[in-house]
Amino acid sequence: MTMLTKSTPNQKRRGLTAVFMSAPALLGLLLFVAVPFLLAVALGFTNLRLGSPLPLEWLGFEQYRRIFADPSFSRALLNNLLFAFTVVPLQTVLALLLALLLNRSLGGIAFFRTLFFMPVVFPLSLVAVVWVLIFAPGPNGMMNSFLELVSFGAWTPRDFLHDPQLALPAIMLTSIWQGTGFQMVIILAGLQAIPAELYEAAAIDGARRWRQFWHVTLPQLRNTLIFVVLVTTILAFRLFDQVQIMTQGGPHDATTTVMFEAVQAAFARQQVARGAAMTVVLFLVVLLISWLQRRVARQEREVL
Amino acid sequence: MSRSAGVPLFYLSLLLLGLLFISPIGFMLAGSLKPDARVLVEAGDWRVFWPAGLSLDNYLDVFARVDFVRYLLNSLFINGMIVGVGLLVNSLAGYAFARLQWRGRELLFGLVLAVMIIPLEAIAVPLFYMVSLAGWRDTYLVQILPFIANAFSIYLFYTYFIGMPRELEEAARIDGAGPLRTFFTIIVPNAKPVFASVAILTFLTQWGAFLWPLMVTSSEAVRPLPLAIATFHSLPPLQWGDIFAFGVMMVAPILVVFLLFQRWFVRGVVATGIKG
Amino acid sequence: MWRYLLSGLIAFLAACSEQPAEQKATVSPLKVWAHAGQAAERHVLEQQVARFNAAQPDIMVELTFIPERSYNAQVQAAAVAGELPDVLEFDGPFLYNYVWQGHLVPMGELLSAQTQDELLPSITKQGRYLGNLYGVGTFDSGLGLYARRSALEVTGLRIPTGPEDAWSGSEFVAVLEAIAQHDPDGMVLDLKLNYTGEWFTYAFSPLLQSAGGDLIDRSDYQSAADVLNGPQSMAAMQALQHWFTGGYVDPNVDDVAFVSGRVALSWAGHWEYPRYAEVLVDDLALLPLPDLGQGSRTGQGSWVWGVTDRCQDQQAAARFLEFLLQPEEVLAMAAANGAVPATSRAIERSPLYGAKGPLRLFSQQLQSGFSVPRPQTPAYPVITSAFQQVFADIRNAGDVQAALDKAVAVIDQDIRDNKGYPQHTERW
Repeated sequence: MTMLTKSTPNQKRRGLTAVFMSAPALLGLLLFVAVPFLLAVALGFTNLRLGSPLPLEWLGFEQYRRIFADPSFSRALLNNLLFAFTVVPLQTVLALLLALLLNRSLGGIAFFRTLFFMPVVFPLSLVAVVWVLIFAPGPNGMMNSFLELVSFGAWTPRDFLHDPQLALPAIMLTSIWQGTGFQMVIILAGLQAIPAELYEAAAIDGARRWRQFWHVTLPQLRNTLIFVVLVTTILAFRLFDQVQIMTQGGPHDATTTVMFEAVQAAFARQQVARGAAMTVVLFLVVLLISWLQRRVARQEREVL
Repeated sequence: MSRSAGVPLFYLSLLLLGLLFISPIGFMLAGSLKPDARVLVEAGDWRVFWPAGLSLDNYLDVFARVDFVRYLLNSLFINGMIVGVGLLVNSLAGYAFARLQWRGRELLFGLVLAVMIIPLEAIAVPLFYMVSLAGWRDTYLVQILPFIANAFSIYLFYTYFIGMPRELEEAARIDGAGPLRTFFTIIVPNAKPVFASVAILTFLTQWGAFLWPLMVTSSEAVRPLPLAIATFHSLPPLQWGDIFAFGVMMVAPILVVFLLFQRWFVRGVVATGIKG
Repeated sequence: MWRYLLSGLIAFLAACSEQPAEQKATVSPLKVWAHAGQAAERHVLEQQVARFNAAQPDIMVELTFIPERSYNAQVQAAAVAGELPDVLEFDGPFLYNYVWQGHLVPMGELLSAQTQDELLPSITKQGRYLGNLYGVGTFDSGLGLYARRSALEVTGLRIPTGPEDAWSGSEFVAVLEAIAQHDPDGMVLDLKLNYTGEWFTYAFSPLLQSAGGDLIDRSDYQSAADVLNGPQSMAAMQALQHWFTGGYVDPNVDDVAFVSGRVALSWAGHWEYPRYAEVLVDDLALLPLPDLGQGSRTGQGSWVWGVTDRCQDQQAAARFLEFLLQPEEVLAMAAANGAVPATSRAIERSPLYGAKGPLRLFSQQLQSGFSVPRPQTPAYPVITSAFQQVFADIRNAGDVQAALDKAVAVIDQDIRDNKGYPQHTERW
């Protein structure tokens, strides 16, 4: 910051104003996010069971030892990773393709944009209920009959949500359907921010379309894409609603997630301490991943 | 590829893709307009999208089974407050982080970014104990206050303000305006898009809130819409027509909000999202 | 425009929340929470409360309906916050947990001896804990096999007439096989797989007991080892899995498997009777669940009323419950939800459950000890959660022994963690 050299009374007053301006938000975050989270960290070291009349006991790392010994929890972590590494790239590519398709000024294009954005406005709990019906087993299920139609009858009906191979992909598809529109809008905005001169310059150079895409569009979209990937990754690790409604974590933990295991422990079994320990692990994992992503992004920036 | 052949082909493929994309919504919409018994029976062929025996019975059912208007007003009020007060509080903080110099700024901003990662489910139980001790259960307040300060919103405002040209503010400053006056007279009028984006995003994420209201409320007087759907979605045999009708009515307000602010929303995203 | 809308909204909401203040009469209200249930049920309870309030000047009941999805979580939340009502309705098997947490008071002294004598044995059994009565229902549930009689007659196999001569496990499989031969997709049995949560423990843990196993060792409720994963439970769950692997079970996502004629047998509760009877009329038969060796066993238990520790005037609470347990009121509720009336006097007068009634089997099962209460221990939430997981694993062709072993580990761990759920009587 160039204009600052030393502190004057005027600047001191401005500093006070800054504190005053940020205080309500910071206080809110402190009270309603940071303090409860620190409490959750503390609870993870105890034996707290919701409503239990037994005295609270300090268990050290016992809850952590247990959850890492629990194969369901390891499976949950693995599923979260699988989900993130499948959904994030697929959804981003799909959103990018859609945004490229829709980034033109043709009549009716706004209609199509709204069309692809529509699923985003549906609350996940409602989306999941509808997709349970879509994935209904038997030839009368919507997805089954659709696949039968496009495969000219070669598809034999499956019970998607109870099939260990298909349950997680089914949840992925649901999530991609719901989330793509949001990414699309953001990428679309990014596309529109690219100065037209860059394309003109490239056109003069005789660059073909996909070279234009490679050398102009993609580098210009870099920050947008990083943002989109970061947000989608965080959301992927929070995956819960779809699992709760569509599969309850089954079959055989094929779709369980850390958040599902945590809510299951804390609410269905009232084992609050165990649930708290799980969410702390989740926090650390997401922190690590965001940190890695930021590092990778920064390195690329230096290379470029 | 010649342009004359390309455009119709382009529309056709877009239309096919679009239809595929909204087919689940079509399924829901058609289902909400036909008798419960036919919703699933007809799911295996084209009739799934055809509202056979077009009737509004399911919608009337929704009104008969729950006090829909009451739930809707609760939801609108709660979300309106979260969005409205949240815009003020978070934009002020975003501005303080983006433009003002003060001690502890860097550290606090780092903490705000870290807090962004924590999902509500992770803190629901301790937070619940806290608000219970405070005696806030079963009120509007307990559904609003914890969600006003929002790290993600602060971050979006921050990135937008950082990208704004400084000249306007400098001029105001020379005229003797303090940061608060500068913010309200110069920044806010020039930052409508980011306000629209944050408003829509906050609205979208809060509208479907289920877990928290379930834990902290018990009377119909303050419960939001997503809890009303529990009335339809718990006792078999499930009446899918009613559930779909409820869904359509629940989504309609968000769609209206989105359509109203769409233009600003896209512009706001241009200036925030791309800063990464 | 937004400003006007918002201020209008605030004014409206303020007006709404002020209303109850006007009603503040001289009597302090008796707060009652009930599950939202079906519309008819809600309606009857509202009428009952109105009748009760009108019939006497001293007590003013204030009724709140809570949706039954996540009901327990909501009760726990209110309890932690110290905001339980005076009278609480809850799902029967959660009673022991609530007592352990100190939220319920004993009602043995509160309700008259006559009222208690008339209750169904199943209700007193499920409501009794540590020698005292903590919960009473105004109805109980019935669970059995609904069947399309004509489909059974085609097979020429024996049709049971009462709980004493239920099909054996192998007979049941023979029946499934025989009906499947006349069925286009071979799926002939509806187990209500479209339901979620508690249903699976309620409906399928009786199979364990029918085979001589159980969810937990009921002598001291300290361990499930060698009981839930013992050979008898193992046999029962293998039988269950066999129905799945044989392809007999319809997934029933749409919940019309039975009424649409897709299946001939439906494993379901009393609440399905009106719908089934309407479609099948005379072709509907009600049969006991199969006997896996130790006699046919069935589920029991439903919503019950308890008086909480927050209640200032326990006599008033008792008067309200006595009112709900009068034969006319019991019958009014039973007529609305179709459940088994909770008292012997009401059953005699019930057209459905009386001596010649079509659902006689249900009342007979409850009165003659064919029904098994769910385990009477505060560990129940964990037990049911573990058993639901077992059922899911069995359905998805998992290894039965592994599933049962895992459930035992989860249950025993929880009991150890809670020091065997000791009773803290000093709280009283």
